[in-house]
Amino acid sequence: MAIYYFTNSGEPATPIEETGEDLMKKGLAIKATVPDGIEAWRLSYDIAAKAVVVYAEGQDEAGAIAQKVTDGAAQAVKDKEKQDADTAASEA
Amino acid sequence: MSNLSNIFGGGTTTDPRKEGMPLFGLWGEEGGGNTVSTYRVFDSGFKNVGSPWATTSTTTTNYRGGMLADASFAYTKNDHGQDFNVDFTTQTYSSYNHYCKSMYQIDQYPHCFYYSASRDGMVSWQSLHQITSSFEYTVGWTKLNMVLPEGIRPRRMFCNRRYSMREKTGNNSLGSIDHYDYSSHMLNTDNDYCVSTGYNEKTKTLVMVHSANEGDNSAKTVHIFKGSKDLNLVGKIKEFFDNLESTEYFLDSWSLDNNKNWCTVVGNNDWVGFGGKNGNTKKYCAFDCSVKGVGQSLTGASRRYLDWQNFAGSVTTSYGAANGNQYYTRFNTTWDGTWGMIFSPYYYYGVGINAFCMSLENPRKFISINQTKSSRGNPYTAWGRTGFHGGDDDNTDGTSWQTYGFSFDPTDSDHTVDTTVFMGSTSGEATVPDNNSHVGGTYTNKTGNCSISQCYTQLHGGYYSTCYPMLLGINWWGAYGSADSSYGGK
Repeated sequence: MAIYYFTNSGEPATPIEETGEDLMKKGLAIKATVPDGIEAWRLSYDIAAKAVVVYAEGQDEAGAIAQKVTDGAAQAVKDKEKQDADTAASEA
Repeated sequence: MSNLSNIFGGGTTTDPRKEGMPLFGLWGEEGGGNTVSTYRVFDSGFKNVGSPWATTSTTTTNYRGGMLADASFAYTKNDHGQDFNVDFTTQTYSSYNHYCKSMYQIDQYPHCFYYSASRDGMVSWQSLHQITSSFEYTVGWTKLNMVLPEGIRPRRMFCNRRYSMREKTGNNSLGSIDHYDYSSHMLNTDNDYCVSTGYNEKTKTLVMVHSANEGDNSAKTVHIFKGSKDLNLVGKIKEFFDNLESTEYFLDSWSLDNNKNWCTVVGNNDWVGFGGKNGNTKKYCAFDCSVKGVGQSLTGASRRYLDWQNFAGSVTTSYGAANGNQYYTRFNTTWDGTWGMIFSPYYYYGVGINAFCMSLENPRKFISINQTKSSRGNPYTAWGRTGFHGGDDDNTDGTSWQTYGFSFDPTDSDHTVDTTVFMGSTSGEATVPDNNSHVGGTYTNKTGNCSISQCYTQLHGGYYSTCYPMLLGINWWGAYGSADSSYGGK
Protein backbone atom coordinates (compact mmCIF):
# COMPACT_ATOMS: atom_id res chain seq x y z
CA MET A 1 0.00 0.00 0.00
CA ALA A 2 1.14 3.54 -0.76
CA ILE A 3 0.10 7.10 -0.04
CA TYR A 4 -1.48 9.13 -2.83
CA TYR A 5 -2.96 12.60 -2.79
CA PHE A 6 -6.18 13.43 -4.65
CA THR A 7 -7.80 16.72 -5.58
CA ASN A 8 -10.96 17.82 -3.82
CA SER A 9 -12.89 16.54 -6.83
CA GLY A 10 -11.27 13.11 -6.52
CA GLU A 11 -8.69 13.16 -9.31
CA PRO A 12 -5.11 11.99 -8.77
CA ALA A 13 -2.96 14.96 -7.72
CA THR A 14 0.45 13.68 -6.70
CA PRO A 15 2.26 10.73 -5.13
CA ILE A 16 5.01 13.06 -3.82
CA GLU A 17 4.79 13.64 -0.07
CA GLU A 18 6.34 17.12 -0.04
CA THR A 19 3.95 18.36 -2.71
CA GLY A 20 0.93 16.51 -1.33
CA GLU A 21 1.37 17.67 2.27
CA ASP A 22 1.76 21.24 1.04
CA LEU A 23 -1.49 20.94 -0.93
CA MET A 24 -3.20 19.45 2.14
CA LYS A 25 -2.16 22.45 4.24
CA LYS A 26 -3.72 24.73 1.66
CA GLY A 27 -6.91 22.69 1.58
CA LEU A 28 -6.30 21.55 -1.98
CA ALA A 29 -5.81 17.80 -1.55
CA ILE A 30 -7.04 14.66 0.16
CA LYS A 31 -4.64 11.99 1.42
CA ALA A 32 -5.47 8.32 0.93
CA THR A 33 -3.92 4.89 0.84
CA VAL A 34 -3.87 3.16 -2.53
CA PRO A 35 -2.92 -0.37 -3.55
CA ASP A 36 0.58 -0.94 -4.91
CA GLY A 37 1.25 -1.46 -8.59
CA ILE A 38 -1.78 0.37 -9.97
CA GLU A 39 -1.22 3.06 -12.61
CA ALA A 40 -2.55 6.46 -11.55
CA TRP A 41 -5.00 6.75 -14.47
CA ARG A 42 -6.99 3.95 -12.84
CA LEU A 43 -7.21 5.70 -9.47
CA SER A 44 -9.83 8.12 -8.22
CA TYR A 45 -11.26 9.11 -4.86
CA ASP A 46 -14.98 8.89 -4.14
CA ILE A 47 -15.60 12.05 -2.14
CA ALA A 48 -18.99 10.92 -0.82
CA ALA A 49 -17.92 7.43 0.16
CA LYS A 50 -14.48 8.63 1.25
CA ALA A 51 -12.86 5.70 -0.48
CA VAL A 52 -10.31 5.08 -3.22
CA VAL A 53 -11.79 3.63 -6.41
CA VAL A 54 -9.67 1.46 -8.73
CA TYR A 55 -10.90 1.20 -12.30
CA ALA A 56 -11.05 -2.43 -13.49
CA GLU A 57 -10.06 -3.65 -10.04
CA GLY A 58 -8.39 -7.04 -10.02
CA GLN A 59 -6.95 -6.64 -13.51
CA ASP A 60 -3.42 -5.85 -14.62
CA GLU A 61 -2.62 -2.82 -16.80
CA ALA A 62 -3.27 -4.67 -20.06
CA GLY A 63 -6.55 -5.98 -18.73
CA ALA A 64 -7.58 -2.54 -17.52
CA ILE A 65 -6.88 -1.01 -20.93
CA ALA A 66 -8.83 -3.80 -22.61
CA GLN A 67 -11.69 -3.04 -20.23
CA LYS A 68 -11.41 0.64 -21.13
CA VAL A 69 -11.65 -0.18 -24.84
CA THR A 70 -14.72 -2.32 -24.20
CA ASP A 71 -16.36 0.36 -22.06
CA GLY A 72 -15.53 3.07 -24.61
CA ALA A 73 -17.00 1.06 -27.47
CA ALA A 74 -20.15 0.37 -25.47
CA GLN A 75 -20.52 4.06 -24.66
CA ALA A 76 -20.03 4.97 -28.34
CA VAL A 77 -22.85 2.57 -29.28
CA LYS A 78 -25.10 4.14 -26.66
CA ASP A 79 -24.23 7.62 -27.88
CA LYS A 80 -25.01 6.63 -31.47
CA GLU A 81 -28.32 5.07 -30.47
CA LYS A 82 -29.24 8.24 -28.63
CA GLN A 83 -28.30 10.32 -31.65
CA ASP A 84 -30.34 8.15 -34.01
CA ALA A 85 -33.32 8.35 -31.69
CA ASP A 86 -32.98 12.13 -31.44
CA THR A 87 -32.75 12.42 -35.21
CA ALA A 88 -35.77 10.17 -35.76
CA ALA A 89 -37.77 12.17 -33.23
CA SER A 90 -36.85 15.45 -34.88
CA GLU A 91 -37.95 14.17 -38.29
CA ALA A 92 -41.21 12.59 -37.08
CA MET B 1 -0.58 62.99 -38.84
CA SER B 2 0.10 59.85 -36.94
CA ASN B 3 1.72 58.37 -40.03
CA LEU B 4 3.92 61.41 -40.47
CA SER B 5 4.73 61.29 -36.81
CA ASN B 6 5.82 57.70 -37.16
CA ILE B 7 7.93 58.45 -40.18
CA PHE B 8 9.78 61.14 -38.30
CA GLY B 9 10.24 58.97 -35.25
CA GLY B 10 7.84 60.88 -33.08
CA GLY B 11 5.28 58.12 -32.51
CA THR B 12 4.97 54.44 -32.02
CA THR B 13 4.28 51.75 -34.57
CA THR B 14 2.57 48.45 -34.00
CA ASP B 15 4.59 45.37 -34.82
CA PRO B 16 2.89 43.86 -37.89
CA ARG B 17 3.18 40.43 -36.27
CA LYS B 18 1.03 41.44 -33.31
CA GLU B 19 -2.39 39.82 -32.92
CA GLY B 20 -5.31 40.57 -30.61
CA MET B 21 -6.03 38.11 -27.84
CA PRO B 22 -6.38 34.48 -28.93
CA LEU B 23 -9.18 33.03 -30.99
CA PHE B 24 -9.85 29.32 -31.36
CA GLY B 25 -12.00 27.18 -33.62
CA LEU B 26 -14.56 24.63 -32.49
CA TRP B 27 -15.68 21.87 -34.83
CA GLY B 28 -18.91 20.11 -34.04
CA GLU B 29 -20.74 17.49 -36.00
CA GLU B 30 -23.23 14.71 -35.77
CA GLY B 31 -21.73 11.24 -35.95
CA GLY B 32 -20.76 10.80 -39.59
CA GLY B 33 -20.68 14.45 -40.53
CA ASN B 34 -23.38 13.85 -43.14
CA THR B 35 -26.03 16.31 -42.14
CA VAL B 36 -24.21 18.61 -39.76
CA SER B 37 -20.65 19.84 -39.72
CA THR B 38 -20.13 23.14 -37.99
CA TYR B 39 -17.08 25.30 -37.49
CA ARG B 40 -17.33 28.25 -35.21
CA VAL B 41 -14.67 30.69 -34.15
CA PHE B 42 -14.64 32.08 -30.62
CA ASP B 43 -12.70 34.84 -28.98
CA SER B 44 -11.13 34.62 -25.55
CA GLY B 45 -14.42 35.72 -24.02
CA PHE B 46 -16.10 32.70 -25.65
CA LYS B 47 -18.13 34.91 -27.96
CA ASN B 48 -18.83 33.53 -31.40
CA VAL B 49 -17.03 35.75 -33.89
CA GLY B 50 -17.62 33.63 -36.96
CA SER B 51 -19.60 30.63 -38.18
CA PRO B 52 -18.38 30.39 -41.75
CA TRP B 53 -19.98 27.07 -42.54
CA ALA B 54 -23.46 27.86 -41.33
CA THR B 55 -24.92 27.07 -44.73
CA THR B 56 -23.47 23.58 -44.86
CA SER B 57 -25.54 22.24 -42.00
CA THR B 58 -28.59 20.08 -42.64
CA THR B 59 -27.79 19.68 -46.33
CA THR B 60 -27.40 15.88 -46.32
CA THR B 61 -24.60 16.25 -48.82
CA ASN B 62 -20.88 16.53 -48.59
CA TYR B 63 -21.18 20.23 -49.39
CA ARG B 64 -18.77 21.14 -46.66
CA GLY B 65 -16.15 18.84 -48.11
CA GLY B 66 -16.62 20.39 -51.51
CA MET B 67 -16.56 23.94 -50.27
CA LEU B 68 -13.25 23.36 -48.55
CA ALA B 69 -11.89 21.03 -51.21
CA ASP B 70 -11.42 18.58 -48.36
CA ALA B 71 -10.33 15.17 -49.55
CA SER B 72 -9.20 14.04 -46.12
CA PHE B 73 -12.28 14.06 -43.90
CA ALA B 74 -15.22 14.87 -46.17
CA TYR B 75 -18.46 12.90 -46.01
CA THR B 76 -18.20 9.71 -48.14
CA LYS B 77 -15.40 10.87 -50.46
CA ASN B 78 -12.48 11.00 -48.07
CA ASP B 79 -9.10 9.43 -47.52
CA HIS B 80 -9.13 9.24 -43.74
CA GLY B 81 -12.64 8.79 -42.41
CA GLN B 82 -15.45 11.24 -41.93
CA ASP B 83 -15.74 11.91 -38.26
CA PHE B 84 -13.59 12.78 -35.30
CA ASN B 85 -15.13 10.54 -32.70
CA VAL B 86 -12.02 9.29 -30.97
CA ASP B 87 -11.51 8.84 -27.26
CA PHE B 88 -7.71 8.29 -27.24
CA THR B 89 -7.98 5.13 -25.21
CA THR B 90 -5.48 3.16 -27.23
CA GLN B 91 -4.80 5.18 -30.37
CA THR B 92 -1.15 4.96 -31.37
CA TYR B 93 0.76 6.75 -34.11
CA SER B 94 -0.82 4.45 -36.67
CA SER B 95 -4.15 6.05 -35.79
CA TYR B 96 -2.86 9.41 -36.96
CA ASN B 97 -6.12 10.08 -38.74
CA HIS B 98 -7.49 10.59 -35.22
CA TYR B 99 -4.73 12.78 -33.93
CA CYS B 100 -6.41 16.11 -34.67
CA LYS B 101 -7.66 16.07 -31.07
CA SER B 102 -4.33 15.18 -29.52
CA MET B 103 -2.48 17.66 -27.36
CA TYR B 104 0.44 17.40 -29.79
CA GLN B 105 -1.58 19.43 -32.27
CA ILE B 106 -0.84 22.93 -30.97
CA ASP B 107 2.34 24.60 -29.76
CA GLN B 108 3.54 28.19 -29.96
CA TYR B 109 3.93 28.08 -33.76
CA PRO B 110 0.95 29.21 -35.85
CA HIS B 111 0.79 26.08 -37.99
CA CYS B 112 -0.57 22.96 -36.40
CA PHE B 113 0.59 19.37 -36.75
CA TYR B 114 -2.40 17.77 -38.46
CA TYR B 115 -4.20 20.73 -40.00
CA SER B 116 -4.07 24.44 -40.60
CA ALA B 117 -7.12 26.56 -39.80
CA SER B 118 -7.82 30.18 -40.54
CA ARG B 119 -10.16 32.49 -38.66
CA ASP B 120 -12.37 32.48 -41.76
CA GLY B 121 -13.03 28.77 -41.60
CA MET B 122 -10.44 27.61 -44.10
CA VAL B 123 -9.53 24.41 -42.36
CA SER B 124 -7.16 22.35 -44.45
CA TRP B 125 -6.39 18.94 -43.07
CA GLN B 126 -2.92 17.77 -43.87
CA SER B 127 -2.79 14.91 -46.30
CA LEU B 128 -1.86 12.10 -43.98
CA HIS B 129 -0.45 9.86 -46.69
CA GLN B 130 3.16 10.74 -45.92
CA ILE B 131 2.56 11.98 -42.37
CA THR B 132 5.35 9.81 -40.98
CA SER B 133 7.87 11.64 -43.16
CA SER B 134 6.46 15.13 -42.56
CA PHE B 135 8.47 17.90 -40.96
CA GLU B 136 6.54 17.89 -37.68
CA TYR B 137 6.56 14.11 -37.39
CA THR B 138 10.29 13.73 -37.93
CA VAL B 139 12.08 16.95 -36.98
CA GLY B 140 9.51 19.29 -35.40
CA TRP B 141 11.63 19.02 -32.26
CA THR B 142 14.39 21.10 -33.93
CA LYS B 143 12.26 24.28 -33.90
CA LEU B 144 13.52 27.12 -31.72
CA ASN B 145 11.53 27.85 -28.58
CA MET B 146 10.83 31.57 -28.87
CA VAL B 147 10.17 34.11 -26.12
CA LEU B 148 8.52 37.03 -27.87
CA PRO B 149 6.78 40.31 -27.03
CA GLU B 150 3.08 40.52 -26.20
CA GLY B 151 0.66 39.23 -28.84
CA ILE B 152 3.32 37.82 -31.13
CA ARG B 153 3.77 34.24 -32.24
CA PRO B 154 6.81 33.09 -34.22
CA ARG B 155 6.33 34.18 -37.83
CA ARG B 156 9.70 32.86 -38.93
CA MET B 157 10.71 29.30 -38.19
CA PHE B 158 14.32 28.49 -37.48
CA CYS B 159 15.45 24.93 -36.89
CA ASN B 160 18.71 23.86 -35.28
CA ARG B 161 20.37 20.46 -35.76
CA ARG B 162 24.04 19.52 -35.43
CA TYR B 163 25.86 22.87 -36.11
CA SER B 164 23.30 24.12 -38.61
CA MET B 165 20.57 26.71 -38.29
CA ARG B 166 18.03 26.51 -41.07
CA GLU B 167 15.00 28.63 -41.82
CA LYS B 168 11.90 26.83 -43.03
CA THR B 169 8.28 27.61 -43.76
CA GLY B 170 6.02 25.25 -41.83
CA ASN B 171 4.95 21.63 -41.92
CA ASN B 172 6.28 20.67 -45.34
CA SER B 173 9.39 19.21 -46.87
CA LEU B 174 10.22 22.03 -49.23
CA GLY B 175 13.74 23.36 -49.26
CA SER B 176 15.04 25.60 -46.55
CA ILE B 177 15.05 29.35 -47.10
CA ASP B 178 18.40 29.72 -45.45
CA HIS B 179 21.17 27.62 -43.92
CA TYR B 180 24.15 28.63 -41.80
CA ASP B 181 26.85 26.50 -40.21
CA TYR B 182 27.67 28.41 -37.02
CA SER B 183 30.43 26.09 -35.81
CA SER B 184 33.10 28.75 -36.25
CA HIS B 185 31.36 30.80 -33.54
CA MET B 186 31.39 27.99 -31.00
CA LEU B 187 33.86 27.97 -28.14
CA ASN B 188 33.60 24.25 -27.55
CA THR B 189 32.80 21.43 -29.95
CA ASP B 190 33.01 18.43 -27.64
CA ASN B 191 29.39 17.66 -28.43
CA ASP B 192 28.15 18.00 -31.98
CA TYR B 193 24.42 17.25 -31.86
CA CYS B 194 22.21 20.25 -31.16
CA VAL B 195 19.24 18.97 -29.17
CA SER B 196 17.47 22.16 -28.08
CA THR B 197 17.53 25.89 -28.78
CA GLY B 198 15.79 28.87 -27.27
CA TYR B 199 15.72 32.51 -28.31
CA ASN B 200 14.66 35.64 -26.46
CA GLU B 201 13.82 38.49 -28.80
CA LYS B 202 13.92 41.20 -26.12
CA THR B 203 17.47 40.37 -25.07
CA LYS B 204 18.56 39.01 -28.49
CA THR B 205 19.89 35.97 -26.69
CA LEU B 206 20.22 32.59 -28.38
CA VAL B 207 20.91 29.60 -26.15
CA MET B 208 21.62 26.18 -27.59
CA VAL B 209 22.30 22.79 -26.06
CA HIS B 210 24.58 20.27 -27.76
CA SER B 211 24.97 16.66 -26.74
CA ALA B 212 26.92 13.65 -28.02
CA ASN B 213 23.84 12.21 -29.69
CA GLU B 214 20.12 12.79 -30.19
CA GLY B 215 19.29 9.84 -27.93
CA ASP B 216 19.95 9.62 -24.22
CA ASN B 217 23.53 10.89 -23.94
CA SER B 218 23.92 13.07 -20.87
CA ALA B 219 26.93 15.21 -21.87
CA LYS B 220 25.89 18.77 -22.55
CA THR B 221 27.55 21.88 -23.96
CA VAL B 222 25.44 24.98 -23.55
CA HIS B 223 26.32 28.03 -25.63
CA ILE B 224 24.96 31.48 -24.88
CA PHE B 225 25.08 33.89 -27.84
CA LYS B 226 24.10 37.49 -27.28
CA GLY B 227 23.58 39.42 -30.47
CA SER B 228 23.21 43.06 -31.42
CA LYS B 229 20.79 42.15 -34.22
CA ASP B 230 17.44 40.48 -33.69
CA LEU B 231 17.39 37.00 -35.23
CA ASN B 232 13.80 37.59 -36.34
CA LEU B 233 14.83 40.69 -38.30
CA VAL B 234 18.00 39.58 -40.05
CA GLY B 235 17.94 38.84 -43.76
CA LYS B 236 20.29 35.91 -43.36
CA ILE B 237 21.01 33.83 -40.26
CA LYS B 238 24.69 34.62 -40.72
CA GLU B 239 23.99 38.27 -39.86
CA PHE B 240 22.99 37.32 -36.35
CA PHE B 241 26.22 35.43 -35.76
CA ASP B 242 28.32 38.12 -37.44
CA ASN B 243 27.01 40.64 -34.93
CA LEU B 244 27.50 38.83 -31.65
CA GLU B 245 28.24 40.93 -28.59
CA SER B 246 29.26 38.02 -26.41
CA THR B 247 29.60 34.25 -26.48
CA GLU B 248 29.94 31.99 -23.48
CA TYR B 249 29.49 28.32 -22.81
CA PHE B 250 29.42 25.83 -19.99
CA LEU B 251 29.64 22.08 -19.77
CA ASP B 252 27.34 19.93 -17.70
CA SER B 253 25.77 16.50 -17.50
CA TRP B 254 21.97 16.30 -17.78
CA SER B 255 19.95 13.32 -18.83
CA LEU B 256 16.52 12.63 -20.22
CA ASP B 257 15.47 9.37 -21.82
CA ASN B 258 15.66 11.18 -25.16
CA ASN B 259 17.44 14.43 -25.96
CA LYS B 260 14.79 15.47 -28.50
CA ASN B 261 12.51 16.20 -25.55
CA TRP B 262 14.60 19.15 -24.34
CA CYS B 263 13.00 22.60 -24.38
CA THR B 264 15.07 25.74 -23.80
CA VAL B 265 13.28 28.78 -22.41
CA VAL B 266 15.33 31.99 -22.40
CA GLY B 267 13.90 34.35 -19.81
CA ASN B 268 13.93 38.15 -19.94
CA ASN B 269 16.28 38.26 -16.92
CA ASP B 270 18.92 36.00 -18.54
CA TRP B 271 17.89 32.98 -16.47
CA VAL B 272 17.19 30.08 -18.78
CA GLY B 273 14.89 27.14 -18.07
CA PHE B 274 15.73 23.73 -19.49
CA GLY B 275 13.16 20.96 -19.27
CA GLY B 276 11.47 18.07 -20.96
CA LYS B 277 9.73 14.77 -20.65
CA ASN B 278 11.69 11.95 -19.08
CA GLY B 279 9.99 8.57 -19.05
CA ASN B 280 6.60 9.08 -17.48
CA THR B 281 7.76 12.15 -15.59
CA LYS B 282 9.48 15.39 -16.53
CA LYS B 283 12.49 17.45 -15.41
CA TYR B 284 13.19 21.15 -15.22
CA CYS B 285 15.95 23.41 -13.94
CA ALA B 286 16.82 27.09 -14.39
CA PHE B 287 20.38 28.29 -15.04
CA ASP B 288 21.95 31.72 -14.78
CA CYS B 289 23.02 32.51 -18.35
CA SER B 290 23.88 36.15 -17.83
CA VAL B 291 27.18 37.34 -19.23
CA LYS B 292 29.97 36.42 -16.87
CA GLY B 293 32.75 37.63 -19.08
CA VAL B 294 35.04 34.76 -18.28
CA GLY B 295 34.59 32.41 -21.20
CA GLN B 296 33.69 28.95 -20.09
CA SER B 297 35.15 28.84 -16.59
CA LEU B 298 31.86 28.75 -14.71
CA THR B 299 30.44 25.27 -14.46
CA GLY B 300 26.82 24.31 -14.95
CA ALA B 301 26.45 23.59 -11.25
CA SER B 302 27.53 27.11 -10.30
CA ARG B 303 24.92 28.60 -12.61
CA ARG B 304 22.06 26.43 -11.44
CA TYR B 305 19.08 27.57 -9.37
CA LEU B 306 18.85 24.94 -6.62
CA ASP B 307 18.57 21.50 -8.23
CA TRP B 308 16.67 19.68 -10.97
CA GLN B 309 13.00 19.31 -10.19
CA ASN B 310 10.97 16.29 -11.24
CA PHE B 311 7.38 16.88 -12.27
CA ALA B 312 5.41 17.19 -9.03
CA GLY B 313 1.99 15.98 -10.14
CA SER B 314 0.39 12.67 -10.95
CA VAL B 315 2.00 10.58 -13.69
CA THR B 316 1.01 7.44 -15.52
CA THR B 317 2.27 5.68 -18.64
CA SER B 318 2.75 8.33 -21.30
CA TYR B 319 4.84 8.59 -24.43
CA GLY B 320 7.62 10.98 -25.38
CA ALA B 321 10.35 11.30 -27.99
CA ALA B 322 11.88 8.00 -26.85
CA ASN B 323 8.76 6.34 -28.28
CA GLY B 324 8.84 8.31 -31.53
CA ASN B 325 10.10 11.72 -32.68
CA GLN B 326 6.55 13.02 -33.10
CA TYR B 327 5.97 12.73 -29.34
CA TYR B 328 8.60 15.37 -28.58
CA THR B 329 7.92 17.74 -25.68
CA ARG B 330 6.18 20.93 -26.77
CA PHE B 331 6.47 24.58 -25.73
CA ASN B 332 3.89 27.33 -25.76
CA THR B 333 3.46 30.78 -24.26
CA THR B 334 0.59 32.90 -23.05
CA TRP B 335 -0.62 35.65 -25.37
CA ASP B 336 1.14 38.36 -23.38
CA GLY B 337 4.43 36.46 -23.36
CA THR B 338 4.78 36.54 -19.58
CA TRP B 339 4.35 32.80 -18.90
CA GLY B 340 5.52 29.74 -20.78
CA MET B 341 4.62 26.07 -20.69
CA ILE B 342 6.72 22.97 -21.37
CA PHE B 343 4.15 20.24 -21.82
CA SER B 344 3.37 16.64 -22.79
CA PRO B 345 0.42 14.29 -22.29
CA TYR B 346 -0.59 12.71 -19.00
CA TYR B 347 -1.93 9.51 -20.52
CA TYR B 348 -0.23 7.44 -23.19
CA TYR B 349 -0.46 9.15 -26.56
CA GLY B 350 -2.25 12.46 -26.30
CA VAL B 351 -4.68 13.05 -23.42
CA GLY B 352 -4.40 15.04 -20.19
CA ILE B 353 -1.46 17.29 -19.47
CA ASN B 354 1.78 17.21 -17.51
CA ALA B 355 3.50 20.56 -17.70
CA PHE B 356 5.93 22.94 -16.12
CA CYS B 357 4.71 26.51 -16.34
CA MET B 358 7.36 29.17 -15.79
CA SER B 359 7.56 32.93 -15.64
CA LEU B 360 9.25 34.18 -18.79
CA GLU B 361 10.41 37.21 -16.87
CA ASN B 362 12.16 34.91 -14.40
CA PRO B 363 12.32 31.18 -15.26
CA ARG B 364 13.31 30.37 -11.65
CA LYS B 365 9.63 30.82 -10.89
CA PHE B 366 7.84 27.65 -11.97
CA ILE B 367 5.25 25.10 -10.89
CA SER B 368 3.85 21.83 -12.21
CA ILE B 369 0.48 21.83 -14.00
CA ASN B 370 -1.53 18.63 -14.12
CA GLN B 371 -4.74 17.30 -15.66
CA THR B 372 -5.37 13.57 -15.45
CA LYS B 373 -7.88 12.82 -18.17
CA SER B 374 -7.40 9.40 -19.76
CA SER B 375 -9.86 9.73 -22.63
CA ARG B 376 -11.50 12.35 -24.84
CA GLY B 377 -8.84 15.03 -24.96
CA ASN B 378 -8.28 18.12 -27.04
CA PRO B 379 -5.25 20.32 -27.58
CA TYR B 380 -4.47 23.29 -25.33
CA THR B 381 -4.23 26.78 -26.75
CA ALA B 382 -3.34 30.21 -25.42
CA TRP B 383 -6.37 31.87 -23.87
CA GLY B 384 -6.99 35.45 -22.75
CA ARG B 385 -4.08 37.61 -21.69
CA THR B 386 -2.10 35.22 -19.50
CA GLY B 387 -3.64 31.76 -19.72
CA PHE B 388 -4.36 28.56 -21.58
CA HIS B 389 -7.39 26.35 -22.10
CA GLY B 390 -8.35 23.10 -23.79
CA GLY B 391 -8.12 19.39 -23.11
CA ASP B 392 -11.75 18.21 -23.28
CA ASP B 393 -14.02 16.81 -26.00
CA ASP B 394 -16.57 14.99 -23.88
CA ASN B 395 -20.02 14.45 -25.38
CA THR B 396 -21.98 17.71 -25.24
CA ASP B 397 -25.38 16.03 -25.53
CA GLY B 398 -27.21 17.43 -22.52
CA THR B 399 -24.29 19.46 -21.21
CA SER B 400 -22.26 22.53 -21.97
CA TRP B 401 -18.92 22.11 -23.72
CA GLN B 402 -16.27 21.98 -21.03
CA THR B 403 -12.66 23.04 -21.11
CA TYR B 404 -9.76 23.23 -18.68
CA GLY B 405 -8.93 26.92 -18.36
CA PHE B 406 -6.29 28.48 -16.13
CA SER B 407 -4.39 31.72 -16.02
CA PHE B 408 -1.52 33.42 -14.24
CA ASP B 409 -0.75 36.88 -12.95
CA PRO B 410 1.49 38.60 -15.51
CA THR B 411 3.22 40.56 -12.73
CA ASP B 412 3.88 37.45 -10.65
CA SER B 413 7.56 36.78 -11.33
CA ASP B 414 9.14 36.56 -7.85
CA HIS B 415 10.36 33.01 -7.33
CA THR B 416 10.48 33.46 -3.56
CA VAL B 417 6.70 33.70 -3.26
CA ASP B 418 3.95 31.22 -4.13
CA THR B 419 2.50 31.27 -7.64
CA THR B 420 -1.13 32.27 -7.99
CA VAL B 421 -3.24 30.36 -10.50
CA PHE B 422 -6.73 31.54 -11.39
CA MET B 423 -9.20 28.79 -12.23
CA GLY B 424 -12.87 28.37 -13.02
CA SER B 425 -15.43 25.70 -12.30
CA THR B 426 -18.70 24.18 -13.42
CA SER B 427 -20.64 26.92 -11.69
CA GLY B 428 -20.76 30.70 -11.93
CA GLU B 429 -21.55 30.85 -8.22
CA ALA B 430 -18.35 28.98 -7.42
CA THR B 431 -16.28 31.11 -9.79
CA VAL B 432 -17.53 34.41 -8.35
CA PRO B 433 -18.36 33.24 -4.82
CA ASP B 434 -20.12 35.05 -2.02
CA ASN B 435 -16.89 35.40 -0.04
CA ASN B 436 -13.41 36.86 -0.42
CA SER B 437 -11.58 33.64 -1.24
CA HIS B 438 -9.28 33.30 -4.20
CA VAL B 439 -10.75 30.87 -6.74
CA GLY B 440 -7.91 28.67 -7.86
CA GLY B 441 -4.86 28.14 -5.76
CA THR B 442 -1.44 29.32 -4.70
CA TYR B 443 1.41 26.92 -5.24
CA THR B 444 4.86 26.62 -3.74
CA ASN B 445 7.60 27.49 -6.16
CA LYS B 446 9.38 24.52 -7.73
CA THR B 447 7.64 21.71 -5.80
CA GLY B 448 4.04 22.87 -6.15
CA ASN B 449 1.52 21.12 -8.38
CA CYS B 450 -1.66 22.68 -9.70
CA SER B 451 -4.42 20.30 -10.80
CA ILE B 452 -6.44 22.40 -13.19
CA SER B 453 -10.20 22.31 -12.99
CA GLN B 454 -12.92 21.66 -15.53
CA CYS B 455 -15.00 24.68 -16.49
CA TYR B 456 -18.33 25.01 -18.24
CA THR B 457 -18.13 27.30 -21.24
CA GLN B 458 -21.91 27.55 -21.67
CA LEU B 459 -21.29 26.79 -25.35
CA HIS B 460 -23.09 23.99 -27.12
CA GLY B 461 -20.85 21.59 -28.96
CA GLY B 462 -22.26 22.30 -32.42
CA TYR B 463 -24.98 19.66 -32.55
CA TYR B 464 -28.00 19.12 -30.31
CA SER B 465 -27.47 15.39 -29.80
CA THR B 466 -24.29 13.30 -29.58
CA CYS B 467 -21.32 15.55 -30.34
CA TYR B 468 -17.63 15.52 -29.42
CA PRO B 469 -16.33 19.02 -30.22
CA MET B 470 -12.84 19.47 -31.56
CA LEU B 471 -10.74 22.48 -30.63
CA LEU B 472 -8.69 23.96 -33.46
CA GLY B 473 -5.77 26.34 -33.35
CA ILE B 474 -5.93 29.26 -35.75
CA ASN B 475 -2.89 30.29 -37.73
CA TRP B 476 -3.58 34.03 -37.90
CA TRP B 477 -6.31 36.19 -36.46
CA GLY B 478 -4.57 39.51 -36.82
CA ALA B 479 -5.69 42.51 -34.83
CA TYR B 480 -9.18 41.13 -34.39
CA GLY B 481 -10.90 42.58 -31.38
CA SER B 482 -8.14 44.90 -30.30
CA ALA B 483 -10.36 47.94 -30.68
CA ASP B 484 -13.37 46.32 -29.03
CA SER B 485 -13.53 47.16 -25.35
CA SER B 486 -15.68 44.14 -24.58
CA TYR B 487 -12.88 41.99 -25.85
CA GLY B 488 -10.84 42.52 -22.71
CA GLY B 489 -7.60 43.51 -24.38
CA LYS B 490 -5.25 46.08 -23.01
